[in-house]
Amino acid sequence: MPDRAVADRTIEIPPDAWGRRSTVAPVMPWVFGLVILLLLVGRIVLTPVLTAPALQTWATVFVAICVQALPFLVFGVLLSAAITAFVPPSFWTRALPRHPYAAVPVAGAAGAVLPGCECASVPVASGLMARGVTPAAALAFLLSSPAINPVVVVATAVAFPQQPLMVVSRFCASLAVAVLVGWVWLRFGRSSWLRVPSRPPASGSAWAAFRDAMRHDLLHAGGFLVVGGLTAATLNVVVPRAWLGSVAGLPVLSVIVLGLLAVLLSICSEADAFVAASLTAFSPTAKLAFLVVGPMVDLKLIALQAGTFGRSFAIRFVPLTFLLGIAASIVVGEVLL
Amino acid sequence: MNRMSQSLLLVLLGGAVLRVTVLSTTYVNYVKPGFRPFLIAAGVVILVLGVVGLVQEWRQPSVAGKGPSRTDDATGTHPAHTDDATGPGSAPVAAEGHGHHHGHDHSRVSRAAWLLCLPVFAIFLISPPPLGAFAARSEDAPSPPPAHAADAYVPLPADKATSMELGEFIGRAWGDANRSLADKKVTLTGFVVRSSKKDRWYVTRMQMSCCAADAIALKVAVFDAERPPDDTWVEVTGTWIAPKTDKIPNGTVPPQLAATDVTEIPQPFEPYE
Repeated sequence: MPDRAVADRTIEIPPDAWGRRSTVAPVMPWVFGLVILLLLVGRIVLTPVLTAPALQTWATVFVAICVQALPFLVFGVLLSAAITAFVPPSFWTRALPRHPYAAVPVAGAAGAVLPGCECASVPVASGLMARGVTPAAALAFLLSSPAINPVVVVATAVAFPQQPLMVVSRFCASLAVAVLVGWVWLRFGRSSWLRVPSRPPASGSAWAAFRDAMRHDLLHAGGFLVVGGLTAATLNVVVPRAWLGSVAGLPVLSVIVLGLLAVLLSICSEADAFVAASLTAFSPTAKLAFLVVGPMVDLKLIALQAGTFGRSFAIRFVPLTFLLGIAASIVVGEVLL
Repeated sequence: MNRMSQSLLLVLLGGAVLRVTVLSTTYVNYVKPGFRPFLIAAGVVILVLGVVGLVQEWRQPSVAGKGPSRTDDATGTHPAHTDDATGPGSAPVAAEGHGHHHGHDHSRVSRAAWLLCLPVFAIFLISPPPLGAFAARSEDAPSPPPAHAADAYVPLPADKATSMELGEFIGRAWGDANRSLADKKVTLTGFVVRSSKKDRWYVTRMQMSCCAADAIALKVAVFDAERPPDDTWVEVTGTWIAPKTDKIPNGTVPPQLAATDVTEIPQPFEPYE
């Protein structure tokens, strides 16, 4: 791991002009002023030019995804920073079962109490790992909390008024996937794949550590959120939803297609039930796959996870979660729906 | 990215969020109106975080030689001049890299954070409008009927036109066993989307459940009226044209309306249903 840290640094391109100049503090207010000036002048010069409907539609969806996710991200980062700064590591060793295989389902079930969507859970899971929680348990929490929390359960119930079993199926399938992924990771995962953020206890004031952790996490996760938002907005505008109708009747393929659609659309887990309900042509099992996969794997989450836990983590974790999500949806859908 | 740029970026981002929520009401173009308090809270937190960082930097610039600032003491690891130290050969970071890495080194953030400028620029320079005819046209398949119970609809008054949401109109047209729409005047509000067929156009409203990314188009085909330009907001008054056969399943064609009056209106406060 130390090798990788050094390698990461060596491939990093030297900082841009801002970064270098900024070490001379008096210059910075000028740069700040310059950005403001650019925004003001740009409003007069560029705004009348940037009016193509396609661009505007894209920008609306992009800004909507960012704006929508931001409060949840801030909430998650606040919670994560608070965990790092104020909760002693000994708390987690007492709260979770000592045996890692037992800790995974407990952490997965604990996801039911954090109301938030997926953007909040990534920084929280990273904060948990930094505090010494078994990575597999933190991952189970990462997967389950956006899918089975009370807000999402209620939203699902509202979106499917005639199908109360949809809520039960979603809860069971999501929890099952979270626990299974946790166990698989525990059994086969290697620690070198996962970049665990290590944060030794702050030696100074807890508030300063809190502020620093928050600023770092917010910017870091925020940057990757934007990557996800860019991709999702582009696909949202470029791919028409009409072509979906043609595969709706095929049993297994339709399940996979809606799973993939959930990945591409990157809709917040608190809203995806309404979108799923609107896909009337599809079977309940396919809709269940949309609801199970969406909160666990989507473009903005992939970007967030790759940014937080490292790329070698994401390329293993994402396909594993997707496949187990599809499989669990098919099994639970067969039994319950 | 050094601490000064980080704080600056946070100020910009928080400022952009507050701009769309406090200084204007453009946030309704992107999210539900009820989301405003959360957005304001998030914007304030981000802005305060940035301003505190700037003030700190102003008082104790993290330049080598001036001594470490209080925060540096607090976390106790990152050298003050981190941005200079990103090169492979620089001793302080390399040494630090062996102890603990990444997550801990809070004064350095990956360059991906600069991407946060993009939403800020989009908000200030493009100031994206609510989804309109472009988004609605790309969606050829008409929207599904809302999941209401068929008997939940109240009867409509016979003597005057009833204003209703497009979702309700579509629901009544498709899902109402009592055919409560028959021969009743209704007024629908939405924007204009042209149709590929010459004899009609669509009065359209986007339905959003959480943010504009999940919006779907609700369309009603309007007959017997001149088509205003795309994206014009209109109030259309008319009567429902019942389908001639029961053979066409619900959800394959938008319900139809014979218009008696079309009035141009300014865009409503809430552009989505």
